[in-house]
Amino acid sequence: MIPILDRPLVQFGLATAAVLILPLVMRSGTLASEILIFGLAVAACNLLLGYTGLLSFGQGIFFGIGSYVAGLGLVRAGLPAPVMLAVSLGVGALVAAVVGWVSIRRQGVYFVMLTLAFSQMFYFLAYTFSGITGGDNGFLDIPRPTLVGTRLTDPWTYYAYVAVLFLVLFAALQRVALSTFGRTLLAIRDNEARAGAIGYPVRAFKVAAFAISGAVTAFAGALHAMLIGVAPLSNIDYHTSETLLIMTIIGGSANLFASLLGAGAYLLAADALSAIWPRWLLALGLLLIVITLFLQRGLWGLIERAIALVTRAPPPDDPARPVGTNPPVAHAPEVAR
Amino acid sequence: MTYLFQILNGIGLGMLYFLLAVGLSIIFGLLQFVNFAHGAFYLLGAYLAYEGVERGLSFWVAMPLAAVIVAALAGVTERLLLRRVYKLPHTFHILVTVGLALVVQEFVIIVWGPLGGNVAAPDELSGVMILGDFIYPQYRLFVIGFTAILAAALWWLLDRTRLGAIVRAGSESPQNMALLGYDTLSINTAIFALGAGLAGLAGALAAPMRGVEPFMGVEALGIAFVVVVIGGMGSYAGALAAGILVGVAQSLMATLWPEGARLVIYLGMAGIIMAMPRGLLGRA
Repeated sequence: MIPILDRPLVQFGLATAAVLILPLVMRSGTLASEILIFGLAVAACNLLLGYTGLLSFGQGIFFGIGSYVAGLGLVRAGLPAPVMLAVSLGVGALVAAVVGWVSIRRQGVYFVMLTLAFSQMFYFLAYTFSGITGGDNGFLDIPRPTLVGTRLTDPWTYYAYVAVLFLVLFAALQRVALSTFGRTLLAIRDNEARAGAIGYPVRAFKVAAFAISGAVTAFAGALHAMLIGVAPLSNIDYHTSETLLIMTIIGGSANLFASLLGAGAYLLAADALSAIWPRWLLALGLLLIVITLFLQRGLWGLIERAIALVTRAPPPDDPARPVGTNPPVAHAPEVAR
Repeated sequence: MTYLFQILNGIGLGMLYFLLAVGLSIIFGLLQFVNFAHGAFYLLGAYLAYEGVERGLSFWVAMPLAAVIVAALAGVTERLLLRRVYKLPHTFHILVTVGLALVVQEFVIIVWGPLGGNVAAPDELSGVMILGDFIYPQYRLFVIGFTAILAAALWWLLDRTRLGAIVRAGSESPQNMALLGYDTLSINTAIFALGAGLAGLAGALAAPMRGVEPFMGVEALGIAFVVVVIGGMGSYAGALAAGILVGVAQSLMATLWPEGARLVIYLGMAGIIMAMPRGLLGRA
């Protein structure tokens, strides 16, 4: 039986509630839009990490490419925003399929290193070909989309635009996760060798998961470029990949709403902390260590525990659902004690 | 002549890359532990050498001292923190070491500021060597010679000594080693400290060549991963070959197409993975 909070309708309801509540409780429409945009990218990251068991340090590639593609189309070619969102979706899928196809040639840790190296490669591509990307300055003057003739320059109207697209893509990701395809991804995550032995083309499934994840991430990157009016070099940086992963794990990779939770918690904390302490990343580093030691299911795990406490149901086993690339290694250093 | 100069330069750089990557490889080989804090140890080594020289220590004291301090800090970290997470999935290895790397990087910025600085090469080596019309900085020659000796010593340690045998056996089967009465916990700590110390030493040696700045750790981590991926994980000779290959490639590119120097390394890595997924000399 699926726990109540993991049911698809409940999940979608939670996401809708979050979208509706943000404008009521937040002063900055820009920050609220950012939460949804990163929430989308993090959910896409989670499709790889939580559902397929692939820990990719390459998500920043797709986010950055989405930003650049949207910028190029909107500024150089003057194409309308919906067209460029669709194009970035397509380009993201394509690039992610290629990166995924090469990266999955190695497994486990090697795979992680490869995605990280790819992320560096695309960063230096963007850096080297500054004629196209603007190099250090980023790609400038990206306009907001228009709707019935008016440009969405007001932060909250753009938020509404983002919110609708967010809910559509969130639902789409849910469909993917619930489909036979998504179930097969779970099987691959839990036991790749067995999934292969049954006859599933494991590699093709992984590449497809990569493509879907990359497409949604690039879409989020495009929305982000329109939000801040720039496609900055930092969007394609290793740090973006790292941040997306950190957000995913802070939220917990149990379900897609947990990803929105992770993005929201990270961005709100960053916003509050960076104002009072420029070196707040030190606190983030410590938080990651604490999460590893005590909170392996992330913030979502905390909520599950709280609910279990209230309903007096047994709490879910801590790292029960694996969130990692690999099962724990058979290692018993304690034997020596 | 320019090319010979760049190739020599590249070998010097490559030997540093080897020092960086071999520690990562040993730690992974023995502990099955993915160390994303490896670049942070390199960063810390560079800054400790910088601090030592700033305080008036001779570089010859500051450089090994930096490596030893990094190794000691890494040993303590392993003991207090990392051994608690070995049994968790790799995701958490990465998460905890990414956290550690952030802590080290921000700590460096708090202590030494965000701007970075320069480290003077030791006086004895600050000049250049002139052979006919060939001119080469002495410090870089020293780095090549010193790391070559170190590489040989390391190979001897891991391949020819009892300690090396224990380490290799421990990476095959820690349970059996424990049953034979070896203190595998201490061996783990020692190996982690050794790997981190090598990264710290690479940082200290690199400091007079390229200065110090707080984000050099991230770049070093990327390079170390590329070297390990190209060379083949767990292969000592692979790390050496790939380190030099990457160093020379980067150096040559600096004359051919400076903006693309870094790009080419990563493109090369992708190409090698396509052609030979195990890396140049990988076994697994």
